[in-house]
Amino acid sequence: MQYFLTQLVNGVIFGGVYALIALGYTLIYGVLQFLNLAHGEVYMMGAFFGFFTMTTLGGPSMSVLPVPLMILLMFVVAMGGSALLGIGIERFAYRPLRRSSRLAPLISALGVSLFLQSAALLLFSSRVRLYDSNLFLSVKSGITVFGVHIDTAEIMVVVGAVLLMVILWFLVNRTNLGRAMRAVAVDQDAAVMNGIDVDRTVVWTFGIASALAGAAGVMSGLLMYPVDQYIGVFAGLKGFTAAVLGGIGSIPGAMLGGFLLGITEAMVTAYLNPTYSDFLAFFILVIVLLVRPRGLLGRPALVKV
Amino acid sequence: MKKHVALGVSSLAALALMATGCAGSSSSSTSTEAAADTASASAPASAAPECAGTIAVMAPLTGGAASIGQEQLNFAKLAVDDFNMANGSMYKIFESDTQLDAGQASTQATAIASDNTIIGVVGPAGSQEVSAVGPTFKDAGIGYVSASATNPDLTNGSNPGFFRVVPTDAVQGPTDADYIATTMGAKNVVVIEEKTDYGKGIAMSVSDALTAAGVKVTSIPVAESKKSYDDVIAKVADDTDVVFVTFQVAAKSQQVAQGLVKAGKKAVVFGSDGSFSADFKTPGAYVSAFAPDINGIPAAATVAKAFTDKYGKFGTFGPPVYVATQAVMQAAQRACTTAGASADRAGVLKELPNTNIAGSILGGDIKFDAKGDVDGAKFYIFKIDDAGTAVTVQ
Repeated sequence: MQYFLTQLVNGVIFGGVYALIALGYTLIYGVLQFLNLAHGEVYMMGAFFGFFTMTTLGGPSMSVLPVPLMILLMFVVAMGGSALLGIGIERFAYRPLRRSSRLAPLISALGVSLFLQSAALLLFSSRVRLYDSNLFLSVKSGITVFGVHIDTAEIMVVVGAVLLMVILWFLVNRTNLGRAMRAVAVDQDAAVMNGIDVDRTVVWTFGIASALAGAAGVMSGLLMYPVDQYIGVFAGLKGFTAAVLGGIGSIPGAMLGGFLLGITEAMVTAYLNPTYSDFLAFFILVIVLLVRPRGLLGRPALVKV
Repeated sequence: MKKHVALGVSSLAALALMATGCAGSSSSSTSTEAAADTASASAPASAAPECAGTIAVMAPLTGGAASIGQEQLNFAKLAVDDFNMANGSMYKIFESDTQLDAGQASTQATAIASDNTIIGVVGPAGSQEVSAVGPTFKDAGIGYVSASATNPDLTNGSNPGFFRVVPTDAVQGPTDADYIATTMGAKNVVVIEEKTDYGKGIAMSVSDALTAAGVKVTSIPVAESKKSYDDVIAKVADDTDVVFVTFQVAAKSQQVAQGLVKAGKKAVVFGSDGSFSADFKTPGAYVSAFAPDINGIPAAATVAKAFTDKYGKFGTFGPPVYVATQAVMQAAQRACTTAGASADRAGVLKELPNTNIAGSILGGDIKFDAKGDVDGAKFYIFKIDDAGTAVTVQ
């Protein structure tokens, strides 16, 4: 039983990272009906921003600031940097193509993805980085629940992911900005006629989605995942899978999809063969989409007639 | 407004092109810098015939193993500089980035094979890469000497023209297993087998040797693309004594080692030679390597100092490349017949089996057996101390 609970906790932790990446995909798709294929690379850059903030402050072992403040600054810089990066990408790579065919922005997104990988290689070199978070967040700290130890970094990831989802839900459903996002999602032209600044709304959407990816990057670093210029490829794929599994365009769906994907991977590793975890996760996605094409919590698409 | 957008998009596109160009240049066919280095280091002609030629160095210059690849490249450059200085020759280097990827290596091999100025190859670094380039190099009649590919099957006749200056996993497996079973007294070992040619080979070699020694072995296969290992670590039983990892990227070994500490498991991590890197630094862990720490070898003192002064610290992946490069150049030198001539591929390939580097920097003579393996090589075992430094224990 303890083994099952340990793997369940592992799955929830993996899922937290996937969920944050999925939220970004679903937010952008929900507003613009556009798949930002460069989102995984924004996550990668966020992980690097967090790493270099940590090392600039003397981390991992000799931080000039108290550890909680150092971690907070890592998140602030990573989320802020990623948000600016996302806004820049939207401004120069997607906005000029907004009125063109559906394929053009997708191709542009692929180009941006490759560009960011190359940029990271040139700027940060190819060396694989590790946050070495064990040096400032003791693995012995944390809580033990039903015999399963959950350390501080892991608690931070799960709590942070849920908190960001709640904030995002609140923002989309209870603020003027959120109202504008939903209006643009339904009908851009009607939104313009109602006085909504579509460009500004899209900028905010990309900024928020990219900030979430940046946060996911720092969280994965704190969990001791390696950081190099290629981590965005698979992470982006997993995040996209989670978004589609939960229902692309649905915020609760993205969270559910992320956690389900993480738990599936952990359970496959636990009870089958670890080499099958990716295969089965994507297989389950295919099955779910065949049975329920809009995803687990997605709503039927509205088409104007 | 539209002008600004056009300017912005143009700037972005230009930056993309520049970035791609810059990233690609590390694997391009230029060897300007290396040629300049070697040309400036050449001495006046000696009595020996003056030989020239290009030697390709296939290594992971970028990617997860780039720290190893850069060290290998720099030792190759040092070997060429030293050899040219001592012999009045004019060999130069062609840098070939494989990223430790079989597909990339295959593409690079095609480029190398089509360049007739390249007379021999040092590398590739990984066993899966050697398998990938074998057919191309066989067709091209080019000899290649690896300093780190250790899968025993590579010299079973399927890769004619392939030689290596390091021992195989057929040596590493029993060496590591004997140390684990005898010196460490382990009774229960988990082998994390990364699904690559290298990982499969060393996992099988170690597992067989441990089983023969009466140790209980549990194998956990993992995909090369896996990024997190907490779920794998949860499968490690509490009574496991040693977790043997077969990664080619040392950061993954460090992840597993830290994960075991986090999970409160008593198992000690023992990494195969792919883990030998400054990135694997968990105190108390072990790692094996196919080359000794040459800082303790008198014959290597000059080379060690020259490398440290020029390039900084090094591990165990670089020195064998120095020897591999020497082997290719010595073969080319023997094949040379007239001053200013370049030994061709056939000549180098014919002379490579006659390699005899007496008193090499690895601490012994380097000669190849009939299969292309080095005679009498052995593996070394290191333990990581509290400062994160690997110290020789066997």
